Amino acid sequence: MSAPFDASQFHDPADGYYAVHPEQPLPLAGGGLDAFAATDRRSPGVPLMAVRIARTAPARPRPLQALTARVENLLVPLALLNAGAGEDSAGYVICPAPAGKPLSTVARPLAEPLLIDQVLRPVAQVLETLAARGLTHRGIRPSNVFVARGGRPVTLGCAWAAPPAMHQPALFEPPYSAMCRPSARGDGCIADDVYALGCLLLTLALGRQPLADLDDEAILRRKLELGSYAALAGDERLPPMIADLARGMLAEDPEHRPPPGLLLDPAVARARRVAARPPRRAPRPLTVGDTAVWDARSLAHAIGTRPADGLAVLRGGSATQWLRRGLGDVALAAPIEELVRQRALDAPSNDQRADAILSMRAVVLLDPLAPLCWRGVAVWPDGIGAALIAPAGEGDETPGLLAGMVQAEAAAVWASLRDERCDSMTLRLDAQQHRAWLQARGPAGGLWRLVYMLNPLQPCGSPALAGATVRRIAALLPAMEAAVAHRGTLADKAGPAQSGTGLVDAEMAAFIAARAERRTEADVSALSDATGPPGRAVAELRLLSRLQARYFPKALPAIAAEAAGAVVPALTLWRHRPTRDAVSERLRRLAEDGFLAPMAAAVDDAAARAADAEGARLAAAELQQIEQELARAAQGGDARSALASRIGHEIAAGAGLVALTGVLLAAALG
Amino acid sequence: MKASRRPGGAQAVLPDAKRGEGRGSLLWLQGLACGAMVALAPMAAAAVAVLLTPSVLAVFLDRQPGRPVARAIFLCQAAACVAPVRAIWSGDHTAGVVSAVMSHPYEIGSAWCAAAGGWLLTQLLPIAVSAVMEAAAITRAAGLRRRRERIEAEWDLGSPDNA
Repeated sequence: MSAPFDASQFHDPADGYYAVHPEQPLPLAGGGLDAFAATDRRSPGVPLMAVRIARTAPARPRPLQALTARVENLLVPLALLNAGAGEDSAGYVICPAPAGKPLSTVARPLAEPLLIDQVLRPVAQVLETLAARGLTHRGIRPSNVFVARGGRPVTLGCAWAAPPAMHQPALFEPPYSAMCRPSARGDGCIADDVYALGCLLLTLALGRQPLADLDDEAILRRKLELGSYAALAGDERLPPMIADLARGMLAEDPEHRPPPGLLLDPAVARARRVAARPPRRAPRPLTVGDTAVWDARSLAHAIGTRPADGLAVLRGGSATQWLRRGLGDVALAAPIEELVRQRALDAPSNDQRADAILSMRAVVLLDPLAPLCWRGVAVWPDGIGAALIAPAGEGDETPGLLAGMVQAEAAAVWASLRDERCDSMTLRLDAQQHRAWLQARGPAGGLWRLVYMLNPLQPCGSPALAGATVRRIAALLPAMEAAVAHRGTLADKAGPAQSGTGLVDAEMAAFIAARAERRTEADVSALSDATGPPGRAVAELRLLSRLQARYFPKALPAIAAEAAGAVVPALTLWRHRPTRDAVSERLRRLAEDGFLAPMAAAVDDAAARAADAEGARLAAAELQQIEQELARAAQGGDARSALASRIGHEIAAGAGLVALTGVLLAAALG
Repeated sequence: MKASRRPGGAQAVLPDAKRGEGRGSLLWLQGLACGAMVALAPMAAAAVAVLLTPSVLAVFLDRQPGRPVARAIFLCQAAACVAPVRAIWSGDHTAGVVSAVMSHPYEIGSAWCAAAGGWLLTQLLPIAVSAVMEAAAITRAAGLRRRRERIEAEWDLGSPDNA
């Protein structure tokens, strides 16, 4: 399993060192992303830039974590800054500003020596450094590689402020990456950067972008049908050295591409020959939906991206028939036939999950390099996190489809089918963990939990924070305090109707469960266990008090006041009115201090609650006894009258007896 | 009589025939005593009969179990009859003595007034006792209501959530 990323090391105090100047945009410096001038207050003379992070495209945590030292010819990240209040962004990545212009502004072909000395070698050196640290760049494209005047080597731009390869055109990505959603391409491997470097060399050698008249989808199809080098170079005349290097660097299989270290010596890299067969092409096409495919990889792509049409050709048998007779690949047709047969036996015909798994397995069999294709969405398993928060458009169903994929642990199945190309054990454990997060009870689980767990730098998206950028759990309470205080001010102006809303919404709860220490998860889960708004308010108070004690032991008067107001209905659970009033008064006093733990203790005092319940039970019993006595008294008039009559008669008889006795005694005595 | 009303008392389990038999024996004894008195001292018996006429009437008129009114009247009247009966007895209970005593209005008047006093007591005392008992019940109910109000003010027992 991959080690969890520790977001706590990105200390917000960096905000105090750097200043972003939104009024000074740097149009070409961000490689397609918005970039602005920035300054380091400690070294005001050093030119810096701040690359804006979109809210739906999280920054890359691993490079930000690992690239702490300067790397020659690379714009390394210096800091991660939060966005200012009211900004529609998730913050900025601070980098050195590029010294020159991007290569996309170079309109003429570059000579071979120039390409070797100023482009290939320096970039290969950077890639070697990155590979040694287990990192990739995934942003090598003309607009993100900068050249300074005076024959200096090129510099790779900032590729850290968005998911890996998100802004790469399909031209600069291997087909198995280009077919993915832009945000779901994953970190990939250094061979993918070598591929992009090969494309860059080709582009610079030609002096123009190849296939410029085709869109990304067409470029991808062409690459799949012809192979990348043939698709890009075609019949173009290239310098022999560059042609040989590009042929190796654009190999379809990443294992066939030369490693960056080898590219430092282009002569050796050129001599490295890889026996790569061109894709086998059928004499007649297979029609999948409205697309004609001529080879197995194109068929895989069609099945992966058009699941309904793909299933139709698979279950109808036309795919296997075409593979067998058209393509002449019996070895490929047989396992696919077995897959379809097994699918028909195992699950009912309307089982969408079984259909999705069938398509996914068929894609892997047809194209072992292909990404995970699940119901029309192609992703790399490490790109799921970014894909969850980067919608492709209005009404995009991707999050739901990805949730289904996680639920089915599709990544584990996918990994088991291409065991030799990935660490299937790690992917299986990751898939199980992702599913556990998705299925976790209450707000501690679900899609939001998955989003925050898989995107450690994604700020909390709760509207309750009023747009504040909160990445670390320690920053949550101060931001909440400010937002609640601001809301309270608005409520004071607008009247009391706006106050009294809950403090912790579902997004924030998921964020807390993802970022806080593990034992806090139980408190987050308790939010869903709470019955009714009063119980929820108490659970929120308990959770926030834990967070305050653990992460921000300072006074939070606004939150405390809001929480004290929210738990007032919960005080009705106290039946002894004087105690209830005393607790309410105590809460009010504690709220002024701003510390939540004593408030939670006052509301949540189990022993006092038990005593209160016992007292209430006794009081109810006594009340019942009184009612019975009063009823008896109201109904006992006749009985009392009869008793009084009897007593009166007895007294009268007694009086007569006393008189008789007295007279008799008097007579006897004389 | 009280013991006989207790469900577990020994009297309660006596057969009706036996209880009727006991009352019959007492009646026979009373009749025998009266007969003996009439035989031995007929004039004195006649005087006693006249003096106790209200009690005899009360015995016939009082239909309550145990005849509590007649009992009280008899006891009061008996106390008033001691002096005339003693005078008749000490005067050899002859007709002359009996007529002398009985002709004196004070003797008969006092005996019958005593009977009236006994009757008045049986009418007034139950009212007085009832008044006392009602007052005690009202005082007790007021105390209970005050206690109930205090509990209701102190404890919130009305909400269904608190049940």
